[in-house]
Amino acid sequence: MDADLDRLAERVDAARTATEARGETFYEGPSRSQLAMFPPKERWDDWVELDSKAWPKRVEKRFMLVPTTCFNCESACGLLAYVDKDTLQVRKFEGNPESPGSRGRNCAKGPAVHNQITDPDRILHPMKRVGERGAGGWERIGWDEALDELALRIRRAIEDERQNEVMYHVGRPGEDGFTERVLAAWGVDGHNSHTNVCSSGGRTGFQFWTGIDRPSPDHANARTILLISSHLETGHYFNPHAQRIIEAKHNGAKLIVMDVRLSNTATHATEWVAPYPGSEPAILLSIARELIVNGEYDRDYVRRWWNWKQYLTEQHPDRPATFETFEEVLRDLYADYTFAYASQESGVSEAQIRAVHAAVAEAGNRLAVHSWRSAAAGNEGGWQVSRTLFLLSALMGAIAVPGGTYPNAWNKFVARPIHLPHHPAAWNELTYPLEYPIAQNELSFLLPHFVEEGRGLIDVYFTRVYNPVWTNPDGFSWIEMLTDHKKVGLHVALTPTWNETAYFADLVLPMGLSSERHDITSYEQYDAQWLSFRQPVLRAARERLGETITDTRQVNPGEVWEENEFWIDLSWRIDPDGSLGIRQYFESKAEPGTKLGVDEYYGWMFEHSVPGLKEKAAEEGLTALEYMRRYGSYEIRRGIGPLHETPVPAEEHATDRRVDEYGRVYSRDPEPPKENFAPTGAPDPDHEGRRAVGVEVDGEVLRGFPTPSGLLEFYSRTLVDWGWGEHAIPTYIKSHIHPEHLEAGQVPLISTFRLVTQIHTRSANSKWLDELSHTNPLWIHPVQAADVGVVTGDLVRVETELGHFVVKAWVTEGIRPGVVACSHHMGRWRLTGHEQAHRLNTTTVALHNDGSKWSMSPEQSHGAFESSDPDTSRIWWTDVGVHQNMTFGVHPDPVSGMHCWHQAVRVVKAQEGDRAGDIFVDTDRSRAVYRQWLEKTRSATVVSPNGERRPRWLIRPLKPTSDAFRIGGPVGRRTDDAPVSG
Amino acid sequence: MSRTGLLRALADLAARPHAGSAAVAEALELPRPPTAGEHADLFDFQVYPYASVHLGAEGMLGGDARDRVAGFLRALDVTPPPEPDHLVVLLHAYADLTDLAASGAPRADHARRVLLHEHLGSWVGRFLARVVELGADPLRTWAHLTVRALADELAVCGPPPGPPAALRDAEPLPEPEDATAADWTQGLLTPVRSGLVLARADLARAAHELGLGTRVGERAFVLRALLDQDARAVLGWLAREAVRQADDLGPVAATGGEPTARWWRERLGHTATMIDRRLGAGAGPSGAESGAESGAEEDR
Ligand code: SF4
Repeated sequence: MDADLDRLAERVDAARTATEARGETFYEGPSRSQLAMFPPKERWDDWVELDSKAWPKRVEKRFMLVPTTCFNCESACGLLAYVDKDTLQVRKFEGNPESPGSRGRNCAKGPAVHNQITDPDRILHPMKRVGERGAGGWERIGWDEALDELALRIRRAIEDERQNEVMYHVGRPGEDGFTERVLAAWGVDGHNSHTNVCSSGGRTGFQFWTGIDRPSPDHANARTILLISSHLETGHYFNPHAQRIIEAKHNGAKLIVMDVRLSNTATHATEWVAPYPGSEPAILLSIARELIVNGEYDRDYVRRWWNWKQYLTEQHPDRPATFETFEEVLRDLYADYTFAYASQESGVSEAQIRAVHAAVAEAGNRLAVHSWRSAAAGNEGGWQVSRTLFLLSALMGAIAVPGGTYPNAWNKFVARPIHLPHHPAAWNELTYPLEYPIAQNELSFLLPHFVEEGRGLIDVYFTRVYNPVWTNPDGFSWIEMLTDHKKVGLHVALTPTWNETAYFADLVLPMGLSSERHDITSYEQYDAQWLSFRQPVLRAARERLGETITDTRQVNPGEVWEENEFWIDLSWRIDPDGSLGIRQYFESKAEPGTKLGVDEYYGWMFEHSVPGLKEKAAEEGLTALEYMRRYGSYEIRRGIGPLHETPVPAEEHATDRRVDEYGRVYSRDPEPPKENFAPTGAPDPDHEGRRAVGVEVDGEVLRGFPTPSGLLEFYSRTLVDWGWGEHAIPTYIKSHIHPEHLEAGQVPLISTFRLVTQIHTRSANSKWLDELSHTNPLWIHPVQAADVGVVTGDLVRVETELGHFVVKAWVTEGIRPGVVACSHHMGRWRLTGHEQAHRLNTTTVALHNDGSKWSMSPEQSHGAFESSDPDTSRIWWTDVGVHQNMTFGVHPDPVSGMHCWHQAVRVVKAQEGDRAGDIFVDTDRSRAVYRQWLEKTRSATVVSPNGERRPRWLIRPLKPTSDAFRIGGPVGRRTDDAPVSG
Repeated sequence: MSRTGLLRALADLAARPHAGSAAVAEALELPRPPTAGEHADLFDFQVYPYASVHLGAEGMLGGDARDRVAGFLRALDVTPPPEPDHLVVLLHAYADLTDLAASGAPRADHARRVLLHEHLGSWVGRFLARVVELGADPLRTWAHLTVRALADELAVCGPPPGPPAALRDAEPLPEPEDATAADWTQGLLTPVRSGLVLARADLARAAHELGLGTRVGERAFVLRALLDQDARAVLGWLAREAVRQADDLGPVAATGGEPTARWWRERLGHTATMIDRRLGAGAGPSGAESGAESGAEEDR
């Protein structure tokens, strides 16, 4: 052997050998040799790097590395904060290699957390409005004053049994259930989410199949990946999924991307399919048809796991209920969805649809699919996009197998908390109105219209990291509501930064960013269950140095708090003596009668509710909480596999067992203790109160899916029972922007897409990200641009149902002809005269109002400004885009409740005097559009099969008591419209 | 002493240079890291680090030669990447199998021998010899190191019992009259048929040595253009080149064993003899006058 080569091999391995010899962890890099990717975790207490600012001198800097979790999107990637040991300031954020989902990697938004925590305009103290709402006057107050005012008001509402006049409206939660339990403890059905402007459409399609409303594709092991969106670059879960999609591509997988635009994702695709928006289900059904006709599907899987027998029995009672009959019927059902038809609907060539079919057929059960916002969020009937997409998975048996798609709850872990309060006793009709009995989530974006109609008012309205004025359609209706004290008694914005909604608040309370707050997260990113901990990193750092921190405000900048401590404190003030029964849920178990602290809250959870964590921590001589504070993440188990195939132990269906005609097994045996609280459907008991325990498949009782039938519901009896029988099986609903529904000169506007380095309203205070992308021109195909008579940079007017906006054109072949697109990420604004406002990447605007007519005009363009950060004086860009959502009417899908974002618009040349960013809206028109869409609904009062407001088995964050489910049951609010004095 | 770290480091330098390449190059004591330009010039335009180019019946990327590697990986339950026959993939796969074998995984030791004999040793010596000749300094050093590292692996695994299957089954260069001019020229440029590994730089050298003009285009076009100018001179040069390359089979013997080196020697000898015979008979290749149509298409 060549001894010299041994010497070289030793050199190559030196870093690894030395690291491992010290008993430290070597985090291998992509080359898998020589360079470690991350500092060994054993040296996170004292990590030395050269100070880049001292270059060329070699000055050593010492850091403490503290893990936390990124809060910029829902991917929850691990971050490592580099805490300067001299100053105890965070100097930078990098990836956390101990995070199993992100595996040490981040997108641009992860490291940019540093911009956010050092943002010179961030809110550092509680602020109270002075003068009129929205006029811009603020004074600094103390936390006590703010909490006392809030507590008094909430207590009064609870005592008066109008508890549902308290509403908590959340953007991305970024946590697993803490605040929902706060509301439950208060007895308030006041949870309102942003989900119906986000993913309700996508969720609905998955929920009706599996009883679980999110997919968990195992991209890394797939042979074919089919994405209905630009998911790879921007979706849930961007970085963790993107790295696995690219891994699969390297392993030879085909990537099919359906997207109207040539997104960054589409540029990575084996097949970029650019259909006419809304026609995606037609394509998917044509592929399904071909699989069926050619017998390319997994017959045995379909026979075992679809509820075909129920479908035949109930819909074709005259035919024998055999699988062979079902196959015949199936062929007939989709006979019309030929490639030619799909091509005609979508404008995609038959050849390309064939190629996609071939890739799906080749994949077998290694077909990973994903649809989240995009088409499902854009179109009326968009929920059928995910339902028809999952039809392909269901045909191929590509569910919960390697390379297939799992129901998310199986790849997610939600731990039991220290206290579990009851669900509320009154139904909130402002969030779950009767017209939308099967909506996937709260009808959040209709709130101003409901309040306007006198359905109820809001006494205390929390917006939490949520900016409805800017994010939702029809923002002027929100301004009308928020400026009316009779409609909203007290508006409290819980936010780290100023935003368009906070301008109209009464109290603005500063909340922590990614590295300044506690949360637990767990998301479906591969076939495993893991838990990550978000924590205030300076708290953990100072505790490592031996300090005791009991309140996160001790370490956060200014008086910035974290939410959990805030909610605990507020709850104590609402119920100081425990007489309302609230305080018990916020008390210590270790020292009863004292306030629960976050250490105890998380320590208890990690010790008692996370399998294996305590033992793993003990191996290192740590408590479970210390382990999570040190490493930030813990993988509970991997290789979860097909849970639906798990046999149900005989003792679970021994007592008074009943099996219905379709194999659903019920019993009176008690439910075994629940370990994982990830949200799933909750199948109803049978008529005599027996619990649904499983489903009989080929003579064996298996766990099945959390659907009413326990099977994959090709046929949804729920949809039939609640008045939507025509959509009970996967089908194609022509969108509101289908060519048949457009007027002459109208084209679809796609407004749902993200910019890769931005994240809705949340990333605006990141200077690096703003420099990367700061505007949102209108994508327009050259052919259409020629028709309009514009070139890149020219201004156009985009006329919507409510009015118009003015935007710059970007002429590109990266979009289908006949469709225009504008990202919703830009067009942030601040009001003139507001001292307290966010200056980075915003235009200063003036609002003009005359009756129902509103307009917004830019007064001062964006540019450099002086601040504590010298970089703000170097800002070179002025164009920060247009706030198009203001001009969109509300389009609630009558089934899913999703706002159907796509707009039918006319694009014309700008008129004289038009300026980029100009907006005009008539809110009378917005009310008319609201009423027009309301007419499409089928109210529970008409269709409910059992006198209740909603099918009980559907997922709902808070599940009111039986009495509240009843139509006419308690609503927890005043029914007259007298305002609350306050 | 495990060598798998070393093999992975060598693989890393066959991939496009990246931020970490300098550290890898330093660990390997290369004079300096290769630049992106040097890397691209050598591996994108001169010699190609793919088994399929050296073992395929057309001398091009993909085809049966690539499928053989893909099939081998599939048999190991590994989904083949899009370029399974790239040297980087093969070196990593060999290192992984070696680690697996060391951990006692069944089949791994056998699999790594098969990989070394059939999919690496069969061609990599030819490729590395040309890198030594044509590459910039750091890449030449890298190629020397790679030969030495694989030679040690062969010493551990033992030589193959005979020539690898891909070589055994390869058709030699046809007699000119049995092929069209284009096919015959392509045959010359197909390593497994002619034995020759001809880079663009070699054709430029031929033109220079023979005082002929070079045309810009794919190699087949360049070679046809040379033959069009002076077929006898060019054929003579090719025969001499075959003899010259046959004298440089040390890396093949070191990495693929004597049976493999013998096969390449015989193939080069066959090509030289055939051309000499043609020249002795006073003939050029048939159809030498019909020039290639287009120079636009690269042949990889
Ligand atoms: S913003 Fe980027 S780094 Fe942060 S969680 Fe999302 S994907 Fe991960």
